Amino acid sequence: MGIDVGKFLKNPEYDIRITTYRDVFQVAALECDRWGDEFRKYSAAVFMSKIDMAKMGFKKGDRVKVSNTNGSIVVEVRETKRDEPGGIAFMVNSPWSNALVSGDTGGRGIPEFKDIRAKVSLSKDEVTGMEKLVVGN
Amino acid sequence: MVTCTGCALLCDDIEVIVEAGRIKETKNTCLRGAGRIKGCVNRLVPSIGEQRVDVGNCIEKAAEILKNAESPMLFGFDNSTSGAQVKAVQLANKLDAIIDDTSSFCQGIMVEKVLRQEFRTCSLDDIRNKADVIIYWGSDAQDSQPRHLSRFSYFPRGEERQRGYEEDRTAIAIDVRESNTAKICKGHFYRIPLKGDRRFILALMDALSGRVPKFDGYDVQKILELSGILKKAKFGAIFAGIGLTYSIKDDAGILADLGRMLPNFHIMPMIGHYNMRGFNENLFRETGFVNSVKFGSEPVHDNRYSIAETLREKSIDVLLVAGSDPLLSLPRSIAKSLAGMQVVCIDPCVTLTSKISAVNIPAAVSGVECGGTAVRMDGKKVELSACVESGFLGDEEILGRIMEAV
Repeated sequence: MGIDVGKFLKNPEYDIRITTYRDVFQVAALECDRWGDEFRKYSAAVFMSKIDMAKMGFKKGDRVKVSNTNGSIVVEVRETKRDEPGGIAFMVNSPWSNALVSGDTGGRGIPEFKDIRAKVSLSKDEVTGMEKLVVGN
Repeated sequence: MVTCTGCALLCDDIEVIVEAGRIKETKNTCLRGAGRIKGCVNRLVPSIGEQRVDVGNCIEKAAEILKNAESPMLFGFDNSTSGAQVKAVQLANKLDAIIDDTSSFCQGIMVEKVLRQEFRTCSLDDIRNKADVIIYWGSDAQDSQPRHLSRFSYFPRGEERQRGYEEDRTAIAIDVRESNTAKICKGHFYRIPLKGDRRFILALMDALSGRVPKFDGYDVQKILELSGILKKAKFGAIFAGIGLTYSIKDDAGILADLGRMLPNFHIMPMIGHYNMRGFNENLFRETGFVNSVKFGSEPVHDNRYSIAETLREKSIDVLLVAGSDPLLSLPRSIAKSLAGMQVVCIDPCVTLTSKISAVNIPAAVSGVECGGTAVRMDGKKVELSACVESGFLGDEEILGRIMEAV
């Protein structure tokens, strides 16, 4: 039996800068059921420009691990609805994006929700579920 | 007609169709508002620990926990009526507790400037009737306050704007991404770098002063063109979104400086939660501060009394949360500390926070199952009325009963 060398190779990791935003469909899903699939579908995704996706070799629907010193999540890659120049990725504000936000507010009380630095790489893991994001899990 | 509590626009033209005591359909709502009015699928049940109990027992237990707390904090209330907010402030005073709301990590900085009259502001009705130049700055109203453009700012006819958006109004978006709102502002979308707002304001101020604006990598002509539009405005409005607020949080006064250079302009923070402004006004009236206050011999405001800092520093042992879900909305790295304290949760729905709470008290959805008053994003007081009977207590009554018991 041959050895599957592929599984020992680390997917390339890229630096990513993420900003968050609001999406009315996600908010409506939140109002209905924050534990439901619909809310997860709208939240557990990182949106990237075509340019950045091509640079990093990602395809629509790929799963990626996004991590930094604050936390690590697996989400789906999606293409931004409109052409963006690249350099910034986008996530809808949610427990998934909040897993990556630093708690250090510089004493100001306002976390840096809109400028998240992280590493991103392809992943074969399942998209992170809400239950893993609840404290204590 | 029902008033929608989906966001701080408090739209008062909503129709609901009720069948068998439940809302079957809503008319005139946006998606967000319909979601709020129709409600959640998983209502909170009264419980202490894992045990389902009577609401009265929950209230008694909540009072006992608060009474025995060394450093209690009350948080939330932006989705509560003004009457409930007043009760929350009184309860915090009685307990010598900390009180805060989501504005401490949201639009509190901007609302405070409005209340202190550091910004020239106006009403949404003034905007509908008079505004000819409107700027959405770091604000995607189409997704956050979805009827803002259609009811007040861009699309409607107004007393002095009878030709509406086709001829009478110019909409401008300044943002880091081409949002749905930016898409509407065709030809007037100014894409700025992430955290580039302050530099853009300075460049715009240069242009308004007749100097050549400096902004590395930015088309100077575009800034000059924007400055020209603003100078010609008869009645302008800058809608300050959370994107702008976060970007200039350490120097929010710079927006007031820009406002002083634009005498025909008005500044309005874009508020999400339906009664955040009500909370800020109620606490301001009582203490002179809009959020992050600790009661004692006298009320003290400090950023260390903000929810983010109290959780980061683990400086509280009990947290009463009403109408908010800090586990959902705060960084997980600090929200984790909620697991190490006693939490009392008052909410209509099962939330992330309710899952780890010691006591859960189900509440009525205000504006749907209970009435009261609220403050619209522009400061207008709005009446809310119930349209269905649910049997759930409103936040005001729950907080009143806790206060009697402590």
